[in-house]
Amino acid sequence: MFSRRQMLQTASAGFGYLAFAGLSSAQAADEAARDPLAAKKPHFEPRAKRVIFLCMGGGPSHVDSFDYKPALKRDHGKPGRYGGSLLKSPWEFRKRGQSGLWISDLFPEVGKLVDDLTLIRSMQCDQPVHAGAMTQIHTGTAQFIRPSLGAWTLYGLGTENDSLPGFVSLAAPSGSSRNYGSAFLPAIFGGTKIGRASRGGQQRSRGGSSESVPDIRNGALSTQQQRTQLDLIQALNREKVRRDEYQPGVEGIIESYELAFRMQDAMPALMDTSEETESTLDMYGINGGPTDGFGKQCLLARRFAEAGVRFIEVTHQGWDQHANLSVDHKARAEGCDLPIAGLLKDLKQRDMLKDTLVIWGGEFGRTPAAQGGDGRNHNNKGYTTWMAGGGVKGGFSYGATDEHGYEAVENKCHIHDWHATILHLLGLDHEQLTYRYAGRDFRLTDVHGNIAKDILA
Amino acid sequence: MNSAPFKLLTIYLAFLCLSSNLKAQEKLTPEQLSFFETKIRPVLIRECYGCHSNKSGNVRGGLRLDTKELMLIGGATGPAIVPGDLEESWLYNAITHQDYVMPPKRKLPQNVIDDFKTWIEMGAPDPRVNTVTKINSRITKDDIQQAKDSFWAYQKPEKKTPPAVEDASWPRSDVDRFVLAKLEKADLKPAADAEAWKVLRRLTFDLVGLPPTPEQINSFTAAWKRSPERAITSVVDRLLETDQYGERWGRHWLDVARYGESTGREVNMTYPQAWRYRDYVVDSFNDDKPFDRFIQEQVAGDLLPVKTDEQWTENLIATTFLAIGSKNLNEQNRVQFAADVVDEQIDATTRVFMGMSVACARCHDHKFDAIPQADYYAMAGIFQSMQTYFGNPQSELGSYSGAQEKQSSTLLILPTDDANSFDVTLTKTEIQEIRDEMISKRREMAQSRRSGGNSGGNAQRERAIFQNSMAKLSAKLASVDENGKPLSFSMGVQERDEPSNAKILVRGEIDQPAQTVARGFPQVITNGPTGIRSKSSGRLELARWIGSDENPLTARVMVNRIWQHLIGKGIVTSTENFGTTGQMPSHPELLDHLAVQFVKSGWSVKSVIREIVTSRVYRMSTTFNESYHEDDPDNALAWRANPRRLDAEAIRDAMLSISGELDLERPRASVVAQAGYTRVQNGQLGSPDRGMGGARPGGGQQGDRSTGNSRPQFSGGNQQGNRPQQGRRRPGQLQQNGQRRFPGRRPGGQTGSQRGPGGRVQNPLDMENAKFRSVYLPIVRDEEPRSLDVFDFADSSSIIGTRESSNTANQSLYMMNNPFVIQQSEALAQRIRQSSTSSTAQVQQAFLLIYGRPPTTGERAATSAFIRNFVAPTSLRERGQATLSALCQSLFASAEFRYSD
Repeated sequence: MFSRRQMLQTASAGFGYLAFAGLSSAQAADEAARDPLAAKKPHFEPRAKRVIFLCMGGGPSHVDSFDYKPALKRDHGKPGRYGGSLLKSPWEFRKRGQSGLWISDLFPEVGKLVDDLTLIRSMQCDQPVHAGAMTQIHTGTAQFIRPSLGAWTLYGLGTENDSLPGFVSLAAPSGSSRNYGSAFLPAIFGGTKIGRASRGGQQRSRGGSSESVPDIRNGALSTQQQRTQLDLIQALNREKVRRDEYQPGVEGIIESYELAFRMQDAMPALMDTSEETESTLDMYGINGGPTDGFGKQCLLARRFAEAGVRFIEVTHQGWDQHANLSVDHKARAEGCDLPIAGLLKDLKQRDMLKDTLVIWGGEFGRTPAAQGGDGRNHNNKGYTTWMAGGGVKGGFSYGATDEHGYEAVENKCHIHDWHATILHLLGLDHEQLTYRYAGRDFRLTDVHGNIAKDILA
Repeated sequence: MNSAPFKLLTIYLAFLCLSSNLKAQEKLTPEQLSFFETKIRPVLIRECYGCHSNKSGNVRGGLRLDTKELMLIGGATGPAIVPGDLEESWLYNAITHQDYVMPPKRKLPQNVIDDFKTWIEMGAPDPRVNTVTKINSRITKDDIQQAKDSFWAYQKPEKKTPPAVEDASWPRSDVDRFVLAKLEKADLKPAADAEAWKVLRRLTFDLVGLPPTPEQINSFTAAWKRSPERAITSVVDRLLETDQYGERWGRHWLDVARYGESTGREVNMTYPQAWRYRDYVVDSFNDDKPFDRFIQEQVAGDLLPVKTDEQWTENLIATTFLAIGSKNLNEQNRVQFAADVVDEQIDATTRVFMGMSVACARCHDHKFDAIPQADYYAMAGIFQSMQTYFGNPQSELGSYSGAQEKQSSTLLILPTDDANSFDVTLTKTEIQEIRDEMISKRREMAQSRRSGGNSGGNAQRERAIFQNSMAKLSAKLASVDENGKPLSFSMGVQERDEPSNAKILVRGEIDQPAQTVARGFPQVITNGPTGIRSKSSGRLELARWIGSDENPLTARVMVNRIWQHLIGKGIVTSTENFGTTGQMPSHPELLDHLAVQFVKSGWSVKSVIREIVTSRVYRMSTTFNESYHEDDPDNALAWRANPRRLDAEAIRDAMLSISGELDLERPRASVVAQAGYTRVQNGQLGSPDRGMGGARPGGGQQGDRSTGNSRPQFSGGNQQGNRPQQGRRRPGQLQQNGQRRFPGRRPGGQTGSQRGPGGRVQNPLDMENAKFRSVYLPIVRDEEPRSLDVFDFADSSSIIGTRESSNTANQSLYMMNNPFVIQQSEALAQRIRQSSTSSTAQVQQAFLLIYGRPPTTGERAATSAFIRNFVAPTSLRERGQATLSALCQSLFASAEFRYSD
């Protein structure tokens, strides 16, 4: 039987992407001799070893959550800068924690942990529509198909558990695979989708949920039989790569089979949460109520983190309140506030928060002016994301928007800056983390990116 | 026009269109003014504004009472005030504590309630006038003219003379000359022709979505040796005439038409009639219906003149295109919902047919293209003048919807009868019973209201139960004619009585109307008047203009898609965006050439396909060239053929075809049709009763109907109890063999997830046991079958012109472990064992069937090693089957099977 490493050594030697990646032959040979997923040394001492990205799809409103704007309350009803009348937040803001940062009643549980958070209140991206902005927050650009932040991370650092994907995307919405894809990076660095956005979640019993990875078991073949079968599949695949010279897709298939084979053992154990204690489940809000679905995702995120997965993304959708803000934003927040707080607390009690970077954010924020009386439009020129753990300050606020929250005016943090900062926390220099494709060196941050040094602990 | 008697359900629907709603302000008398100012306004401010105004920043139930417009628009349930009509005025209902209890904690004094009564009865005079603003566009006439003059996509495609090429021996057609000229300019040479078997494999997958048989490969290879051109032509002619062609190319269309069998979003209700549109699309492609006609039917089929009922039926079904978009039934505000439906229709119509994103101009002028906001509302006028049908039939006893759907609609009755075997027949007695039950329920409800016994939460709960049961009864009653025979329904659209112009909405907000704009089309691609008369909505004119020879975009957008499906990459890679933010064409002259030819051929899709696949470009090999790759990594210039991963349908259908299990017959309808109108949750088509959470009507369980025609379960095979099918069918739609068994053994529809062997949760909507073509699998939004989802199926809620093409560990798990894959491998092993006995011959046969070629020496060695090492059952007979089955699965699983090279 081949070990994973042996397999990849033999397989990698013929890999076209190395031959044509423009690497010098010595470099190529060196690369080829290694498992592409093996843990690699970062450029410098990292502050965070892994990332959990809580991706809020639809654009949560910063002026109703983490960006306190007293002037918006004061000027409620007055004309906004770009038309419409200003709409004060339906939620009260309060000073929280020792740091006394203002957070609204939308996030009371996360608010309690504000002393662990760095709020970045000056976010900006270039895209005013969902699909484009979502792609930019993940890949840096909406124009081209480029590798995702998670794929770059995995490419830069490898992973610590070769039986699991190094980059997983939990409950990713369908049609979003370019947001966790590898683009021109070898396919093995792409994210693996775990679970469906809408399927499951609510009806599963408390605890065990190993079936949420479909087709994880073979009812007919023994492991040994399946390994023999897989050897044949891979022999055929390698023949094809050899014939085709350059076939990144087939190389991706080869790697994905090895990973899938290992996942069969590792995934059911990982997804089986039946051993988690009642108090842990309660902490995440896994109790059949509105927090159940997202609570399970957060719990899984911790389990993946514990197992050595490098980059974990969890999606929470439905923040796009052009109307019904007061009801639906609240419902959305109620679905995730407790689970997120649970995740932070759980990481902390396991002493993992110090080297796990937890990131919260959507593709953009929402306008201070009202839309239809009880809604807000997209706002990409100023919004808030936050980070916790993994080398960022706690109880800290970075940057600011104007008095109503339209636009970042102080310490602007563009998506490129945000990416540069995240890579920095992981010990990667965003200018050095390059990949040569078609004769050119590519970076996540293209030619941009300034590290937000102030937020580093 | 047809004059045959028919009835289209035009049952009352609580849609209010803005234009009729916001009539010019009548002059108020001093008495009216004083009444409002002294008796009404103070109460509104004191009692209501706290939760229902903009000032408070708190708008409960989507209802605002601080402007006249918003009061008339109302909230979730309906208009707060209908002047002169107490019954329909929900505000009055609430303050008298009928269905709603407002103010929440106490009842207003009787004299105040009486004041409101008087006020509403006098016509609800209200001086609170919204100052009507006028929106001035930043996009001027000059800007539009400049865009027309300068931007390539807004100019009519022109016939271009094919360029001269150095290597005159290479091209076979003008297509080749356009491509070669660009290559030569860049100093690149086209790749050599691919081998014959590869070309045939490409052709059959591209044209019909299925692999060639070994026999077909042999005869093609022989013909190819004589003349590649003739070999290709004859295969193409044959393939284009099979029904499988329409199933393949119809599915491409369904991707862009955002075909789905449910509403999607939070309250995911089924569209039980959506399948009719699916079949219509497949048939249209098979008939090579002129594409301009195909457009007209989808945008305005209800308005086209027809000679027969059959044609009329077809045209009505075609308009499902406008009705099938995803919908947020959870939207509380009817007017908002209607505006969102119109928005979705504008978006689909402009992007799907013309690659234009007019919907970007809903809230403000288009940021990048010369599309002023007024152009959006010119189109909105056209679409708001029609009614959209997508829900469940409603009887003459009233329009009801379940408590969870805040928005609903009825359906169109088709002029021809096309009943399903699972449709329900009712006896006269049953019809009467349902009527009686509805009437008595209504009476009970009215009584309960009057007595005021229930209040607050109880009243709401009671109302929900009442609504749910009435919705079901009403639908049941409406689904048959007066004799109890089932009627046939479709989704679609119908004109309203009077067309109306829309007002521009400031930032797209329904309560911020500005000036009215005349119905019309986007100016940047229009020359001269639109020809919309005051009596016509303009939709027919729109449909004709989209499909007109003069339209600069329509033909280009379609030929670009055809090119993409055959070559692997669009000439314009942003297939649904031909605007300034889209990508420029890599070969503009070629695009124009194809567009001009397309129109000249009478908009024949088959003729464009034929022109492309008979080119030399199409048959290039995928041979890699390192230095070319450095120059042109995306192969934009087409120096080689693009290796393409097969799409989900082709992968599944090819396994079925190779194993010999494929059922080429079209299944009747869909599991979704059989489940009826119901909510989908967690991968299950809930029963309507459960879905709506209501009471069962008068103990009449579905199974104990006196006719004994219980709704069949999808239990495959055991449907002897069903009523024989009645009604006519369109020729060619179905074999005339009475009841058609719906393939698929999985209990579906009414049952929940089943735990199968190995503890797997099986999802009924996956239909792993179905043997028909993938295009007929149920496409419930957000619950697409795994076999499709895992291989990047198009998101059915979006307009998808270009699918993603990933290679993931999930796909590996699917190919290694999914029962469908294992079943097909077993069936194939059996098939092979019947024809050959030696393991060498079996392996040879497996390669020929699956890849279309014999194994190489290396592959032979690998399979031999596999046969040696595979620890199979001891029994000799089982061992042969088990080993070969695992081997076949390996061949299915490996990369070559899922690539078209």
